[in-house]
Amino acid sequence: MKRFNDFFGQFGGRYVAEMLRAPLDELEAAFLDALDDASFRDLLALTLRDFAGRPTPLLFAENATRELGGARIYIKLEGLAHTGAHKINNAIGQALLAKRMGKTRIIAETGAGQHGVATAAVCARLGIPCRVYMGAVDMRRQKPNVFWMERYGAEVVAVTGGSATLKDAVNEALRDWAGSFRDTHYLLGSALGPSPYPDMVREFQSVIGKELCGQIEEKGLECAALVACVGGGSNAIGFFSPFLESETPELIGVEAGGRGTGVGEHAARMNGRGQPGIVQGYKSLFLTDADGQVLSTHSVSAGLDYPGIGPQLAHLGTMGRVRFLTASDAEALEAVKFFARMEGMIFALESAHAAAAVMRIARDYPAESSLVVNMSGRGDKDLFILARAMDAEPWAEFLREEAAQ
Amino acid sequence: MSAPSRIMAHLVAYYPDRAGSLRAARGLADGGCTWLEVQFPFSDPTADGPDIQAACARALEAGFTVKDGFVLVAEICAAVTVPVFVMSYANLLFTRGVGRFLDECHAAGAYGVIVPDLPPDADEGLYAEARARGLAAVPVLSPSISTERLCRAAALDTEYIYATLRAGTTGPRSTVDEATRRFLSSIKEARTTRPAKILAGFGVTSREQVRALESHAHGVIVGSALVREIAGGGDPYALLRARIRELVRP
Repeated sequence: MKRFNDFFGQFGGRYVAEMLRAPLDELEAAFLDALDDASFRDLLALTLRDFAGRPTPLLFAENATRELGGARIYIKLEGLAHTGAHKINNAIGQALLAKRMGKTRIIAETGAGQHGVATAAVCARLGIPCRVYMGAVDMRRQKPNVFWMERYGAEVVAVTGGSATLKDAVNEALRDWAGSFRDTHYLLGSALGPSPYPDMVREFQSVIGKELCGQIEEKGLECAALVACVGGGSNAIGFFSPFLESETPELIGVEAGGRGTGVGEHAARMNGRGQPGIVQGYKSLFLTDADGQVLSTHSVSAGLDYPGIGPQLAHLGTMGRVRFLTASDAEALEAVKFFARMEGMIFALESAHAAAAVMRIARDYPAESSLVVNMSGRGDKDLFILARAMDAEPWAEFLREEAAQ
Repeated sequence: MSAPSRIMAHLVAYYPDRAGSLRAARGLADGGCTWLEVQFPFSDPTADGPDIQAACARALEAGFTVKDGFVLVAEICAAVTVPVFVMSYANLLFTRGVGRFLDECHAAGAYGVIVPDLPPDADEGLYAEARARGLAAVPVLSPSISTERLCRAAALDTEYIYATLRAGTTGPRSTVDEATRRFLSSIKEARTTRPAKILAGFGVTSREQVRALESHAHGVIVGSALVREIAGGGDPYALLRARIRELVRP
């Protein structure tokens, strides 16, 4: 896999207003230069080990395997990385790059808040002022993450325009950056946006897949398929990256099926639901109307309700290298419950979409083969959503008592 | 007495609603603008500040579609004598097909198009296809542009070039200083064929800014300030005619 592609088939590119061209050109050059520098790579590896807690384990889900039947299920525990998700990998990479570029301020967008929390934590450690744009709807859904970002010293700015979710936070970060790029790095959290972001985020997330290669070999697994949830797609593309140019294992992306197939009820862009478009600086598949206006989406998970998909995954899906499935809100909630009971693991609602797909397809694979699901995040952040869905009245009573204190 | 200033006046199609935007266009033309820029609202206007974002959201709620937008442009072109430019974002052109979008612009009577996120070399054929139809596609250049890209953009030999006075988004007031003047003259110097008509914009709100710019640019673009003028209600025709008169007065 080349580390800089710009385009992936027909998708990708750098479709931005002229003022953002210079900073993106500068970023591309700095990124490639950093990857060529052994001292940068060493610092990155050290920070991933000591600060993020890598490598993350590969766990055999013995009870789930027995219960479901079919392939052996393994879980890549990215959620055990510091700040609770794979987002820390990219945040560390880009923040170190920003520092190397002499940038003195970092901005980021966040959906579920995991990218914002990761960025805020890394910025705290590196002593870089940080502002995180977050949709007002997402701030309400993921209040604990707002709290943690602020503890790390980040300024969290509510975005009220549009649908007040992730895509609007990206818009606002792009607007900030258009005026601030001289001293500011935009630390984009998913493998999308104008080039070089899709390539850069994949490279920084590829640590997941590289570790997995070693773990598969060490355990002697006959790996039939890798399964990851796909919002923008950063965990999936990093998880899949060492295998993109080979024919095996099967690669499966799981999109948010939400609560139906109608407009605004889901966030599934593949399998003919999205159409080619140019939005937020890149060409890919988007949920848009006949004019090209971006449609509203829905998912129980704030990290999967983005209307576009990273350009490389759109290409891989179109070519057939990655198979796309969906999991509904209800299936994701069931998967959280199932793996909590079976394995003592709480999947983040995003990653639970991948877990739900595994529960559905495990029996389609022979017993001697293995399926590896990426638990891209752990579910601590979803406490309020899960409690409302699973234990509403006692929880509400607790909150009332707490508020009365 | 000097001549009145040349202003490209911006409005958002269907803002505050369909009839209001038609009245806005007539008010701007009767007030003495030299060109009209009609923005087709897009759901995700990343180059725009809060005023135009809010106007675009409201215009979409008012029922704007691209098809209806071209009908409105045709009505505007029939009602005014100044050249009309259609401004929008890449996805509305790309989804329709750049060629078809430009055909419809041309059929509606528009003079040109402005698409900030289809810059030269990532333009999906915009400049060549516009030229083939006799439409003026206007590249949008910014002070951060590299010399190499500036020369490439200048070599497109477009009739007009849109120069943003600063980085950032539309709206916040720009200052006209030595760096601004250097940027505008660098565009002139980069053009080796015919002189480009440079339209300078972003954050122009006052008569003084217009005056300060007009010896360095062919015309001045006013956008957010006009959107703000009608944001509080009132008749767009009267409000905008008065505002343009004040901005262009000799």
